[in-house]
Amino acid sequence: MDEQNQISVEKRSGLSILDIQGDVTSASEPFFSEAYNHPDADGSGKILLKFDENAYINSGGIAVLIQLLAETRRKNQKVGITGLSEHFKKIFNMVGISRFADIYASTEEALQAME
Amino acid sequence: MFDETNTRRVEMVLPNRIGYERIAMECSASFARFWGTGSERVEDLKTAVAEACLNAMEHGNRGRPEAQVVVTLDRVNGAIVVQVKDEGTGIPEIPPDPDIERKIQELEPARGLGLFLIRHLMDQVELNEITEQGHVVRMVIRAENQQPGSGSGRVPAGGTLQRKEQRGNGGRLGNG
Repeated sequence: MDEQNQISVEKRSGLSILDIQGDVTSASEPFFSEAYNHPDADGSGKILLKFDENAYINSGGIAVLIQLLAETRRKNQKVGITGLSEHFKKIFNMVGISRFADIYASTEEALQAME
Repeated sequence: MFDETNTRRVEMVLPNRIGYERIAMECSASFARFWGTGSERVEDLKTAVAEACLNAMEHGNRGRPEAQVVVTLDRVNGAIVVQVKDEGTGIPEIPPDPDIERKIQELEPARGLGLFLIRHLMDQVELNEITEQGHVVRMVIRAENQQPGSGSGRVPAGGTLQRKEQRGNGGRLGNG
């Protein structure tokens, strides 16, 4: 019943934007991995994860994100997050994700701040 | 513990299949809204119910397709009480809060956040109640005492977690 993810990758102003459509669960891992290794994201110094505000994100999905953040940290990449609902902003703060990725209100705000 | 005479109940029987937790989420959200719970707390409830169901499916029922998860929603004395029952024997050891730094450094598994979220989002959590039918996790979210269908009640998100009892049957965790 998990919805399949579709993650498109776009490069803007030196920033790789991973546009994540659909819910984020443990089943999302291969989609995140594929997007992260996309030529437009691979080797990028700055990555913005753009979530769908209506997405269902569970602990398995947060674990996938933590794995991604571990990889970005090894590669010394800067990570931003946008598109979260207020509830998931709270959850990401609660878990500590926000210590490793800045959370922005919009893509434009992220572009300005991460430039 | 609860005044059963003041109870309004809805019960769901879920197949032990990942994805069905979303049905429990949506039903719990409708139930809470019906009893006047505000949107912020409804979102807390949805996440906690989903995580409790996932734990029941993956750990309690060990992924067995023939097993079931029973979710019961009660309105009791101004609170929403959710019970998630699986066919397992309980949580042998309640894990400590996750250490995000260690997870990022890959010194501990990235997974294992479900119980942490439940404990921090609900006002009270009781683990390891063993009944004839199996193991029950009971979660309480307080709501204002309003008439059904009013839909405007709001209770602030829970404060600092205080662990009342850590392990064993009837392990009880609460936010006050």
